[in-house]
Amino acid sequence: MTDSDLPLAGLRVLDISSFIAAPAAAVVLGDWGADVIKVEGPEGDPNRRIMHDSANYPKATVNYPWEMDSRNKRSLSLDLKKPEARAALDRLIEKADVLICNFPPLVREKLRLAYDDVKALNKRLIYASLTGYGETGPDRDRPGFDVTAYFARSGLLDSQRYDGGPPGVPVPAQGDRATAMTLVSAILMALMHREKTGEGTWVGTSLLGNGLWSCGVIAQAALADAYLAPRPPIDRPRSALGNIYRTKDDRWIQLTIVREDKLWGPLARVVGHPELVDDPRFATQADRRARSGELATYLREAFEKMDYAYWQKALADHDVTFGVISRAQDVPHDEQAIACGAVVGTAIPAMPRTLANPVRLGFAEQRMAHPAPALGQHNEEILREAGLTVAEIAALKASGAMT
Amino acid sequence: MTEASAEPLPLDGLKVLDISSFIAAPVAAVVLADYGADVVKIEPPDGDPHRQNWKNVSYPRSNVNFPWQLDGRLKRSIALDLKSPAARPVLERLIKWADVLIANFPPPTRERLKLRWEDVEPLNPRLVYCSLTGYGETGPDRDRPGFDITAYFGRSGMLDAARYEGAPPAISLPGQGDRATAMTLVAAILMGLRRRDRTGKGGWVGSSLYANGAWANGTTVAGAAIGAKLPPRRPPDRPRNALTNLYRTKDDRWLQLLMVRDDRLWEKFCAAIGKPGLAGDPRFADREERKARAQELHDALAPVFAGRTYAEWVTALSPTGIPFGVIGRVADIVDDEQAAHAGIFADTTNPEVPRTLNNPIRLGFAKPRVSGPPAAVGQHNDEILRELGHSDAEIEALKKAGALG
Repeated sequence: MTDSDLPLAGLRVLDISSFIAAPAAAVVLGDWGADVIKVEGPEGDPNRRIMHDSANYPKATVNYPWEMDSRNKRSLSLDLKKPEARAALDRLIEKADVLICNFPPLVREKLRLAYDDVKALNKRLIYASLTGYGETGPDRDRPGFDVTAYFARSGLLDSQRYDGGPPGVPVPAQGDRATAMTLVSAILMALMHREKTGEGTWVGTSLLGNGLWSCGVIAQAALADAYLAPRPPIDRPRSALGNIYRTKDDRWIQLTIVREDKLWGPLARVVGHPELVDDPRFATQADRRARSGELATYLREAFEKMDYAYWQKALADHDVTFGVISRAQDVPHDEQAIACGAVVGTAIPAMPRTLANPVRLGFAEQRMAHPAPALGQHNEEILREAGLTVAEIAALKASGAMT
Repeated sequence: MTEASAEPLPLDGLKVLDISSFIAAPVAAVVLADYGADVVKIEPPDGDPHRQNWKNVSYPRSNVNFPWQLDGRLKRSIALDLKSPAARPVLERLIKWADVLIANFPPPTRERLKLRWEDVEPLNPRLVYCSLTGYGETGPDRDRPGFDITAYFGRSGMLDAARYEGAPPAISLPGQGDRATAMTLVAAILMGLRRRDRTGKGGWVGSSLYANGAWANGTTVAGAAIGAKLPPRRPPDRPRNALTNLYRTKDDRWLQLLMVRDDRLWEKFCAAIGKPGLAGDPRFADREERKARAQELHDALAPVFAGRTYAEWVTALSPTGIPFGVIGRVADIVDDEQAAHAGIFADTTNPEVPRTLNNPIRLGFAKPRVSGPPAAVGQHNDEILRELGHSDAEIEALKKAGALG
């Protein structure tokens, strides 16, 4: 298999976007063969620096988030505020199949990069828009981030908390990456439409829309005036047998005992309390539910005595059902993560493994990740392909529109 | 940009066979239906078990089957007992009819039902076969049934990572990872269709809940792959920086203070929260002091924020330019003007559930279809069988054989 057999081979994508959700959509298109040109301002996409700038990112000597969100892209650095740069960009837009943009609407208008501004240049162009909160309305110009638009505004964080506890905490870029898959689907629908009609179009999605879609069950319930009851904290669970317990090495065991009558005995024995089986306080399921706090105390104290590995084996030996709560550091080594194609090798020596996008195709393999580009690394190559002459490129440099 | 409905829907005429259950895979079929596809859902005689999920204790209490409106909309239902040999010829006619087949049986069940790609490819080589599994198609856990909470959230490391230091793992919401995964399946199916339209050949496409969870947790997992560890998140009562922290309000809501430029805003902030005296407090005289004494500053601020309601704080802080984030509630968002602008909600023609959620894809040339009441189990048995060319006598015979529900 060569790259030309990939389903998106030959597709020309202009990624005029920053941070994560929109650039990650371009990554997925690139993984499946598209030629992705990332257009960056003179300072570069701030996602190049997020690992250092954000206190919530794991730190490393390799800029792994940038490598992941920019793999297999070429970089063109243009100062879009300068008219010379805009003229060069127009040459690229004329030849592009897809343009991905995530400037807030006001900035788009200022840069004349709204769909209405560019469609005259290329009527076959598919314009993919990502916003925080949509294209119109009182908050359309508010910059949207994963944590504010996808998680906080949607009600996800408020719902993801234990009764009386603080709001949930998302992991970095969690909602961005999920949103990227929606944007990819939107682009593919537009490509299908273009195959039939010959015409390009606008497509888009918002972080807020994706956040609400992911919590669709509770959002749909709210539309029917039904609300999720707060989850009781783990020291007073609804059921001690469906609760979560900390192990000696600060890991967590999620008990998922559905067949309680069958498994109550084995559980009591495996946690070293065989006497509880005949304890009248816990005789029936109703008794155990009524005294779930008391029972949870026994279990909490027992689970704290041994390590996770011990419990994993002991519970499995007694056929007691539980859910695995992996740590991020377990995933890259997990045989199953490799089997399902989530963890793959790269051609980046400093970062030998990365995450594949979650689409699998029986007829093609995702391209291997090559190093992300330096800022403006492909300036001349890209402009020459777009038909600019050597003199034009030199003039562009001299004007300061390209660094 | 414009969102208009001047042209036919992009998936008009696409025939989709949804042989899946619960949420992630059926939701992919919903998205295709929203944009025009004709979706036939094959259910066992007692229906997709997701029809009963609304009674689940982890779901909000309601007297209407609200999740089914969301996940069963715009589909026709045929109740077919795939274990009955009499059902097989019907299934095969449906496979020949379809452009897309969506399956989420665990691999051994597929094998038993002769529903693997290699089983159905000879029947319809132009078919796009879309597979969803919990953990992938091979490997030690391929046969393990996967659910959102176990495969997407637990196994991917996301539950463990999304927590405060010393606190228990995060809570995920019902179907949260499923619905995100559905969008991946839609992308996979569309890539399969693109290739079919160009080459005439169908093919296998798919995804797993585990791979989607790992993708959503991708920043942290990619960091872990080179040995970088996620810094623990300090709980709101022990912040590293008291001015970029969460505070509880009088009515048990939360305000996210985001005062990065406290060098400029400190005095203004103290005045805005009604504590002008704090501005002169030598303990908090400059940025460095405020950072070094984050705990003391938190202890001073927490009772202040607890003294007013969330709405009062929003009113008090909004005009000051002091940046803060809103921790929204689902109850508020359903009437949020901005959500309406973003095209998030839609009206239905089902009086029991008059409003629903649109899928998050927006197209300039088409609007998603309006949904009515979702189908009852087997509601379209006769209609579908007649479309496939079965005579009344054949339909009668299938019923007698117990193949139909």
